[in-house]
Amino acid sequence: MLVPIFTLKLNHKINPRMVTVGKFDGVHPCLAAATQAGKVFIHNPHARVQRRQPAYRLRHSAQDSDISLLNINQAVSCLTAGAMGPGRTGHALLVGSQSTLLAYDVHDNADIFYKEVADGANAIVLGSLGDIPSPLAIIGGNCALQGFDHQGNDLFWTVTGDNVRSLMLCDFTGDGKNELLVGSEDFDIRVFKEDELISEMTENETVTSLCHMHGSRFGYALANGTVGVYDRTARYWRIKSKNHAMSIHAFDLNADGVVELITGWSNGKIDARSDRTGEVIFKDNFSTSVAGIVEGDYRMDGQMQLICTSVDGEVRGYLPASKEMKGSLMDSSVEQDLIRELSQRRQNLLLELRNYQENAKAVQGSPGPEGDNQMGVIPANTQLQTALSVKAATETQKAHIELNISTPNDTIIRAVLIFAEGIFEGESHVVHPSAQHLSGCIRVPIIPPNDIPVDLHIKAFVGGRSSTQFHVFEITRQLPRFSMYDLHVDAAGSQPTGRVTFSINDRPQRVVIWLNQNFLLPEGMGSPDVTFTCLRGGGLLSISMQSSGEGPSGSFQMTLKTDNMDLAGDLVQSLASFLAIDELQVEADFPAYFEELRVTLAEVDDYHKVHQKLTADMADHSNHIRTMLVQAEDARLMGDMRNMKKRYVELYNLNRDLINEYKIRSNNHNTLIAGLKSVNQAIQRAGQLRVGRAKTQVITACRDAIRNNNINALFKIMRAGTASS
Amino acid sequence: MELNLNRVDYLQVGVTSQKTMKLLPTAGRKATQKVAVADHDGVITCFGMKKGEAIPVFKTLPGQRVSRLELGGALGTAQEKIFVAAGSEVRGYTKKGKQFLSFEANLAESINAMHVAGADLFVCASYIYNHYCDCKDQDYYLSGDKINDIVCLPAENLGRIVPVLACQDRVLRILQGSELCYEIKVPGPPSVLELKDRDGGTEGEILYGTTDGKLGLVKIMASSPVHRWEVPNDKKKGGILCLDSFDILGDGVREILVGRDDGTVEVYGLDTSGEPTLRFEHVLSESVTSIQGGSVGKESFDEVITSTYTGWVTGLTSEPQRDEAGPGEEIRMSQETQGKIAALRAELEQLQLKVLQEREKYQQSSQCSTAVSAVPVFSINDKFALCQEDASYSLTLEVQTAIDNLLLQSDVPIDLLDVDKNSAVVSFSECDSEQPNGNFLLATYRCQANTTRLQLKVRSIEGQYGTLQAYVTPRLQPKTCQVRQYQIKPLSLHQRTHSIDQTRPMNTLSLIGQFSFAEIHSWVVFCLPEVPEKTPAGESTTFYFQNTFLGTQLETTYSKGEGHFKSDNISTISILKDVLTKEATKRKINLGISYNINEDSVNHTLKMIHPKLEYQLLLAKKVQLIDALKELQVHEGNAEFLIPEYRNILEESAQLLGEYQRQPAHLERLYGMITDLFIDKFKFKGQNVKTKVSQLLEILDNYDLNSLMDFFNEV
Repeated sequence: MLVPIFTLKLNHKINPRMVTVGKFDGVHPCLAAATQAGKVFIHNPHARVQRRQPAYRLRHSAQDSDISLLNINQAVSCLTAGAMGPGRTGHALLVGSQSTLLAYDVHDNADIFYKEVADGANAIVLGSLGDIPSPLAIIGGNCALQGFDHQGNDLFWTVTGDNVRSLMLCDFTGDGKNELLVGSEDFDIRVFKEDELISEMTENETVTSLCHMHGSRFGYALANGTVGVYDRTARYWRIKSKNHAMSIHAFDLNADGVVELITGWSNGKIDARSDRTGEVIFKDNFSTSVAGIVEGDYRMDGQMQLICTSVDGEVRGYLPASKEMKGSLMDSSVEQDLIRELSQRRQNLLLELRNYQENAKAVQGSPGPEGDNQMGVIPANTQLQTALSVKAATETQKAHIELNISTPNDTIIRAVLIFAEGIFEGESHVVHPSAQHLSGCIRVPIIPPNDIPVDLHIKAFVGGRSSTQFHVFEITRQLPRFSMYDLHVDAAGSQPTGRVTFSINDRPQRVVIWLNQNFLLPEGMGSPDVTFTCLRGGGLLSISMQSSGEGPSGSFQMTLKTDNMDLAGDLVQSLASFLAIDELQVEADFPAYFEELRVTLAEVDDYHKVHQKLTADMADHSNHIRTMLVQAEDARLMGDMRNMKKRYVELYNLNRDLINEYKIRSNNHNTLIAGLKSVNQAIQRAGQLRVGRAKTQVITACRDAIRNNNINALFKIMRAGTASS
Repeated sequence: MELNLNRVDYLQVGVTSQKTMKLLPTAGRKATQKVAVADHDGVITCFGMKKGEAIPVFKTLPGQRVSRLELGGALGTAQEKIFVAAGSEVRGYTKKGKQFLSFEANLAESINAMHVAGADLFVCASYIYNHYCDCKDQDYYLSGDKINDIVCLPAENLGRIVPVLACQDRVLRILQGSELCYEIKVPGPPSVLELKDRDGGTEGEILYGTTDGKLGLVKIMASSPVHRWEVPNDKKKGGILCLDSFDILGDGVREILVGRDDGTVEVYGLDTSGEPTLRFEHVLSESVTSIQGGSVGKESFDEVITSTYTGWVTGLTSEPQRDEAGPGEEIRMSQETQGKIAALRAELEQLQLKVLQEREKYQQSSQCSTAVSAVPVFSINDKFALCQEDASYSLTLEVQTAIDNLLLQSDVPIDLLDVDKNSAVVSFSECDSEQPNGNFLLATYRCQANTTRLQLKVRSIEGQYGTLQAYVTPRLQPKTCQVRQYQIKPLSLHQRTHSIDQTRPMNTLSLIGQFSFAEIHSWVVFCLPEVPEKTPAGESTTFYFQNTFLGTQLETTYSKGEGHFKSDNISTISILKDVLTKEATKRKINLGISYNINEDSVNHTLKMIHPKLEYQLLLAKKVQLIDALKELQVHEGNAEFLIPEYRNILEESAQLLGEYQRQPAHLERLYGMITDLFIDKFKFKGQNVKTKVSQLLEILDNYDLNSLMDFFNEV
């Protein structure tokens, strides 16, 4: 049994996921963590510094001489530490908040740089990326990624689909250079080779943590309690718990040379899982939620320890298992567990065998009526039929996809459970008709919220009307990616104004195959020219393919017409990956959306101006306060109570004004952030319409256009894909 | 805890019932004991341990499921004859496995409790007690509620054998011949009885355990009991299923061994004054059905032997297990265990082959149009019980193999609460209650591997009644699922009690009509939990209840053609009136309903709620302050500048938070009850005050007892 080698109680709350270890003086590892009230505390048990007067940001805790507090004056949103650039012995501490990024030298008590970042910093990672020579502090904010070098120069920028929640650097492709992995709120893990998106894995919840294991293998955690391990784009294993994974970390706890995935859970549990199988090899418990897991040589004896912290400020350090323990870190002995497991398996097999034997008996013996009702006897040839179809909206029901499950005989379906990811509120959907409405056929309406391919794991309970035991039929059906599109077209509907055109060098039959695989179509669709009604949000989608007659193999002009730019992007990406196109330039026009964007851009500009003005006002007010306070205190010392009262009343009024102004400012700020986010999203959408290098080019060109405040160029790029021509 | 016991698994048999495993006595002191265990397949297995391997002494053929196993023998000799109760039959075996007795008790129901003493045999079916001597009928008694267990004090104590019945209605019934001698009130429904020190000791004392987890010792005298002590169930552990007395500490005093239905095994030591203290605790993963102290694995090492629901016989032995694993060696797996594992693996392989063949056969049968598929019913051990402390229901489900998933469906509004021990992933499915399907709750639990036991908590609302259904699917091929139904009764939060406070202001409801005693009894069963299904003997009957959430009470007295209900809570009376009217109308019986509303009772109920409400409001306020105070503390470096009240909050913050989290939505529930009270009070006056509820909620937001009472009186 592995026990902690040290336990500390720090008496400071620790914000979840904001814990790091850094050698701030270049020698002694210190634990740094964000705590309440916009502060970061640094626990330094090694060098007993003399108690200094509070200076600048750093202040020593009155309670504990090992702890110094760092004042950030803003709610901290992410934190890391590491070597930042040439000429520095110690590690830099990097603290991100919703609007700033601070690189700080703890040892010298001085800022390295301080940057306003409009998109906020939800996640931060420090390290080298691709061919960029100096290590970068990369922050992920609202749809944007930004990297700074040690001087605060902005060397890296790109956009991503949604708010970034987790970042990680690793050599994903195996080319000796680091790629950036980004987990975001649209459930995607994206891999960036510098600013080129090279891979995308879709999960089913917000990706809250990523951690590098070894090689191209990495661990991930989702907001719904899932943790797992990927190797490149293939998922090795995953498990789901009802608790939330607060922090994940890779550490070789059993000293077998391979790191394990250490997970800290919201209920205070810590477990170490094998990177290959996900099997738990060690677990321990804190009394409160785990805040963060890091590693460091905290005892300065040359051995790395796994350091786990709880939100209550409890810290435990674990050494990797010694040779004697031979991997058995758990309490109970291995043999006992093995025997137990084998016996359990034997018991299961015996039970299964008994089931078959009893079944055979029931088959041979005349089916007596007594036992039948209870057991839920069904004809052995009962097979469930399932069918998927698209249903347009009616007066009583919204548009949906109907899953029809039926039995071929007079057995009934008591209930249907569908387990599927990402399309229901929870992970399952249940249909349980009341006793009066039992029948052999159940219709399940499904409304997938977005266009993702989903496996429906269907469990149907089949039996007799009065059975208490039912046969469970397990079937898996796949819901195609673009299932919420109906072939029936209302002729009166207006044609979409948005369109995407590009040319491909492939046969129309291939496109038809793609259509059949990704849409719910009746049998025998032979033409690639189709028009759908979008059941989600309405509007039309039409796809057409025309021979452009050029080139030897015959090139075709594809046109997608829709007002939904996201949908157009998804279609382009899906088609390109199906036809194995790795380079695609398109021409696009979405007049309605572009007009909206133009308005947003103008608004952002306005809000920006208001923001500046408000900030200036605030500085003004704080000067007022300072003088008023001095006057009031003067009056008090002089015994002039009347004047003092007056001053304090004024001060009170001013304070109230300030609070009001603050509210205005924060509203303004929120709208500004939302505006910026939608601009970032627009760039991302424009990129999503293209494939390969064209995509990267569009994103970079768009950014340049925004930087130069050249709005017309921006739209031109979004339409044509390049700035020139 | 100085006691250190290590777990060793010995053998797995089929699913076992309560009290179906015993240790046979040994001839010499040094030798190890044999274990006799009987299961639901009707197989009795007797085995001993040799070099870590289970060596069977005998094993009987399968038959009817065994509900009890006891040891007996002529008085004064070693008690080494094995008696089992299966169905309505009692069988006796020698320690070698030779059957010497087969006795058909001729009961309509199957036996669920049994005691053997010399030539005397005592058996109980659900309500019936029978005493046989040398297989001849002696005495007979019909109990008012279900009998859960029986023991008999030996003749040495009171000059005669004294049978003691543990009955579901929270009493122990002491019998004399065929007559009831007296009743002992115990704090919960007793589930198990055992003689202290295995023979009642010199004083004639009996240990009892209850389904709600309480443990007690009571001395049986000729005409009255003496309560020695009672261990409350503060930590909300499971109900007690089995008890034993054994000196595991080796200090010359017998400790009390306790097995519970949540898998907890406990050892209580008795101090010099005879008071119990917890000395050891271990948690197994499934219900502990039997517990015994003795020595099985190795001579001269005492251990606690348990059998669990899924049939594991496990020892918690004082023999050290660890020290032999020396450092630096590659694999320290003893020869014995290696052999054991190899044998198991071989057996598994064979089984797997066989299963594959059978599976294929089964698959083939699906081609045939006349064949049927009938999978035998698997056994589920379930318990749905009201938890007094937090006035919620706890549902426990246990299956022999791992559970794959569980579907919960309810046609009444109920809340599902999170249970820490439960690791399954819960997912709520959308349900439109307007649809004809009438679902109010649809939730699935997807279980982690190897979960054989699931515990959930459900909170009901009084007045809303219906059925909760649980569909359990185990991980077993061919896949089947079984449904279990649980009634949520109209007065679901009421619990039986022994007496009520008659001085409270009471409201009464009286029914007169052409109904039989059995009919009105069935209505009461329909309305209230913990009432026996069987119509009580005699002309009329009275039951007392207490509301576990508010502490208000209810008295029901009824007979043929007449029923009287008395409660200090007007809502209780209102619910009863609605439900009883509905039930009677369903059977087309004309009811004469009269009620007598006591105005004082409303204020009385409000006053009863007052301390709870005030406490909850204060708690909520304190909890709200904690974070802000902590921040101030960090900012200032210490908390000395705060007023003592705030400092207090900081010091107690952990307890406050814990308490707050333990009773989620407590305040909302209290508000709901006050609103009901308000509506019901005026309903009896014929006024509809639903429009004024918003005003009431406003008053509750700025709570003050007097203004609330004024509001109730004014409107």
